[in-house]
Amino acid sequence: MPSLSWRIAALKNGFQDAVAYRLEFLFEVIGHAIVPVAVQCVIWYALFDLGGATQIAGMTYHDFILYTLTSMLFSQIRGGDHDFELQEMIRSGTLSNYMLKPVGVVEFVYIRGVAPKLLLTGISFILGLIGTFVLHLNIFNLCAAMLLALIGNVIHYQLGAALATTAFLWEEAFSVLMVKNMVVGLLSGEMIPLTLIPSQYAWVWKSTPFYLYVFGPTQILLGKWTMVQTLESFLVAGVWLCVGYALIKITWFFGIRRYLSLGG
Amino acid sequence: MALIQKYFSVYLIQIKNNFVREAVYRTNFLTSMVVDVIWIFVEFSFFSIIYANTSQIAGWNKDQVFFFLGVFFASDALFSTFLQRNFWNFSDLVNKGELDILLTKPIHPLFLALSRWINLTSIFNVFFGIAIMLRYSDGAGFTGGWKWFLVLFWLVIGMITQTLVRFAFSVWIFWTERSFALARLYFQFFAFATKPDVIYPKLIRYMLLTFLPFAFISSIPTRALLFGLKPMEYALVGVVFLAFFILDSVLWKKGLKRYQSSSS
Repeated sequence: MPSLSWRIAALKNGFQDAVAYRLEFLFEVIGHAIVPVAVQCVIWYALFDLGGATQIAGMTYHDFILYTLTSMLFSQIRGGDHDFELQEMIRSGTLSNYMLKPVGVVEFVYIRGVAPKLLLTGISFILGLIGTFVLHLNIFNLCAAMLLALIGNVIHYQLGAALATTAFLWEEAFSVLMVKNMVVGLLSGEMIPLTLIPSQYAWVWKSTPFYLYVFGPTQILLGKWTMVQTLESFLVAGVWLCVGYALIKITWFFGIRRYLSLGG
Repeated sequence: MALIQKYFSVYLIQIKNNFVREAVYRTNFLTSMVVDVIWIFVEFSFFSIIYANTSQIAGWNKDQVFFFLGVFFASDALFSTFLQRNFWNFSDLVNKGELDILLTKPIHPLFLALSRWINLTSIFNVFFGIAIMLRYSDGAGFTGGWKWFLVLFWLVIGMITQTLVRFAFSVWIFWTERSFALARLYFQFFAFATKPDVIYPKLIRYMLLTFLPFAFISSIPTRALLFGLKPMEYALVGVVFLAFFILDSVLWKKGLKRYQSSSS
């Protein structure tokens, strides 16, 4: 099974990379988890404790805190920065080294980059398990939420990999990917529950796959979505996976023709 | 006087060099503008969503928070223009031994280290931030007139704050040899600067006003411009600046003693 062996090797390589720089990895996790949660909790504190509100958009203070803490599990799983690695390879010309190898470069970068995320998924799952016992949540919901978050991670990378091909045109795609990440930050539900967005603007987040990264899994775990809504979200995720796959095929097919291999 | 003239002429040469470089990479201008505009858009969207559900956050109305964002963007853009890139490259100075050449010049090495890179395109974001302030000044209760001169003063205070704090995080490169983790930690704490300090609980607020004075970037300036500060708060700014200046100077001198000039 040679096709499987390079994938396992890439994954192992990714794990080793994450473990080699333990301090950086730890700071990244703390930074990505603790600080955004702290900022969110402060907002809820200001609205409810200082502002004296009892309910906002049908949610109580307790609901907001629970949402924020639960969403932390999934915001750790959502896409990494390996699409930036792709754009850097195109920009700097190091893509040439990978083109000579019998591996799909887009897939290789993903597998290597997803390793630390898998590590975090494991930790999040254990934390989620503890949470299900403490908060009496459904274990089936936890598994479904984790699965949706992992699919979301793939979709995030697919879109990033397609956007990274703009580097073939403009020599760099850093800004495009930064913009994507900023929009994801808002529309994935890791900054605020998307139910806070007024209903007339709900089409904005519903028309992107970003809500499947954090908001969807959080709603599933908290039991806010019915079985039908959960299945519907998996169906939507499936459609986005196909769209992402097609986008990668098309953009890389045309993009690679413009590749100059400068500096490689 | 001759000393000031010398430093001024060196700085003019640095500006000229940076202008030439930016003229070569023209697409950078457009892309950095787009990224900053989207960043502003995301922050505005975040608060717009919150204010769609409430009329006040910790006693601040929507226009006051948007005015605060204007101050924040203008102040941050000022720092990005004149200092940001120098801090990104600071670790290279120490790790690659590039500091050697600066130490041999008849001018303070720190002045050269922190004035070498200027991102002239970011200056447009200063005007963008001021335009936002102008747009929301009436609703925020900013009286304007001669107070616009105070705006410039407070923007400079914000820039000095970022410089002093960022330096306190960067100077550890003399001891750690890898700056990535600390730089990341700085940006995690920096997230606290993007919200008005009045929304934070007492402990976090105390932290933001003393040993991690991120509130001086735009919370204190906005409060000074809209409501005025107590004499104690003005004194606090002076004391914290002095403390950071002394800390940075001591760390720089101690760091230089450890410098091994690795490349030579």
